[in-house]
Amino acid sequence: MTTIQYTPPTFRHKLSAMLAETRLRLINISRYPGQLVMEFIIPIVFAAMPMLLGQATAGDQAAANFAANTGTANYVAYLLIGANVFTIVSGAFWHIAYWVRFEQETGTLEAVYITPTSSPVLIAGVCLYSAIRSTGTAVIAFLIGCLIFRVNPFQGDIILALLFLFVGLIPLYGIAFIFGAVVLKIKESQSVLNLMQWLVSFLMGIFFPVTVLPPFVRFIAQLFPPTWMVNGVRSALLGVGFFLETWYLDMAVLWAFLLFAPLFGIWVFTRTEGNLRGNQGIGQF
Amino acid sequence: MTIPVRIENLQKTYQTKKRQGLFKSSVRQVDALKGVSLEIERGEIFGLLGPNGAGKTTLIKILTTLLLPTNGRAFINGFELTKQDDAIRATVGCMLMGERGLYWKLTGRENLVFFGALYHLPPAARARRADSVIERLNLGEYADRPVETYSSGQKMKLAFAKALINDAPLLILDEPTNTLDLPSARELRAVVRELNQQGKTVIYTTHIMAEAETLCNRVAIIDRGEVIAQGTVPALKESIGQETVIKLEGVIPTQASTAVASLHGITRSAITSVNGHNQLTVVTPNQTAVLPQLIQTLSGHGAILQKITPEEVTLEDVFIAHTGRTLAEDTAQ
Repeated sequence: MTTIQYTPPTFRHKLSAMLAETRLRLINISRYPGQLVMEFIIPIVFAAMPMLLGQATAGDQAAANFAANTGTANYVAYLLIGANVFTIVSGAFWHIAYWVRFEQETGTLEAVYITPTSSPVLIAGVCLYSAIRSTGTAVIAFLIGCLIFRVNPFQGDIILALLFLFVGLIPLYGIAFIFGAVVLKIKESQSVLNLMQWLVSFLMGIFFPVTVLPPFVRFIAQLFPPTWMVNGVRSALLGVGFFLETWYLDMAVLWAFLLFAPLFGIWVFTRTEGNLRGNQGIGQF
Repeated sequence: MTIPVRIENLQKTYQTKKRQGLFKSSVRQVDALKGVSLEIERGEIFGLLGPNGAGKTTLIKILTTLLLPTNGRAFINGFELTKQDDAIRATVGCMLMGERGLYWKLTGRENLVFFGALYHLPPAARARRADSVIERLNLGEYADRPVETYSSGQKMKLAFAKALINDAPLLILDEPTNTLDLPSARELRAVVRELNQQGKTVIYTTHIMAEAETLCNRVAIIDRGEVIAQGTVPALKESIGQETVIKLEGVIPTQASTAVASLHGITRSAITSVNGHNQLTVVTPNQTAVLPQLIQTLSGHGAILQKITPEEVTLEDVFIAHTGRTLAEDTAQ
């Protein structure tokens, strides 16, 4: 009797498939060098606008006025950090939430879904790619920005800042999965993603401390992990002050998000995916 | 021995929402598969034939786990659909969507190695398997160029190579010769035959009946979500009995072809347009008796006949005999 044997993939197989997905995307983006260069420039230009506006309106008093409201006179680094964390948030939305739609349009989504690699493994590969691409470009853009505006980038607790950045990425990607599910459902979703990236960026305070927001809006803002991430990075580097006074309490909040958001995001995503398989199919666009 | 594919009463109903104003919508149901049952034996090249929209792609998408059936069961390589989907995916090689299932910024080789990883091949085995598939399909000349620089035929060949990367015992090929020129299509069919001789079972969908006739051991003709006929090609041809086919070409007005349909002694007739001319295909058990009556009726309704050819029965005629329509007519729609 001839039967076909099937051995389920081991953790190593899954890890290898995940890294292949990451590698594929890195090779792909490396073939668009112009786009990568733009990713270094955009956050600097983005931060330069409020920076120059501040200098134009407050003149020599710009740093002092800024310090009175934010806790640091280093408004250049403050705004550069905000603009660069924004590119990371934006990257999460476009690299992860929009991933499914993009693959539907190019026709490759069905090609990867007919392989034995599960969608959470593929998603993990896409997240790793997004993390490498957006943190890499954000760090480089921050260094270039500091060089252009003559600010020392190596101040404060850099290790703690990076810790806030990396711990904050995971719940951010969890939220991106939820929007990924929305994208699967409503297809023509560019406008929703555009709106969401700006809304989240506004709430996390890319150019201002969230303490200046009205209490209810501030409460909403603090439900988003990026708000804690950007404030953690600023507090570690510039000493603007943690929301809960100490770094470990703020970090604990991010860890709570970290434990909840990705699981919830993947659950929502795979459920939506299952519903689609039950009707028109995952590759339908 | 495990039967590679066993399908029992598979049904699929799509639900589509139709907007009626800003907040209202109505749900429309489309029965894409209406209880399909099939068995495909090991070592067969099994053709799934039918016009566009017949349900072939829906069936293929269900068999490749992309879609869930509304009802029914299927076993692929002995694994039950919806319960052992990972095992099914690992043991099937698929070519769906043709050239669209490739990453165009990557080279052909990079694509193959990537898909090898998704099929959980170890890194060294991926590279070896990619090399062997590239050699077998003569892709070497352009395997290290980005796919975006390929011709349409080269992309189709690479998509076929991708289906071979996991060396699966069952291949599902959905219209693999679409967009290929004649020599490339012939070459691809030869590789399919060779793989089949080496023991692979193949499901081959096409709307080109002649392709199925030359390649497939058995075929199933699907129309409007149902299998209307299945068997070996000679058996299907015999199934339309002692009937023969007459093809009439010329200028044939609609009223003339309608009049022919109601003539005594004609089983089925269907009309198509070829290069500005009409071609009327008539299936009849008695060619000699029917022919004079046929010519008289057509002439009487304004038809100008230029060519009358009694022909051998083809799978296309089998389709006409079962549906009363030609495949070209349905595909064009």
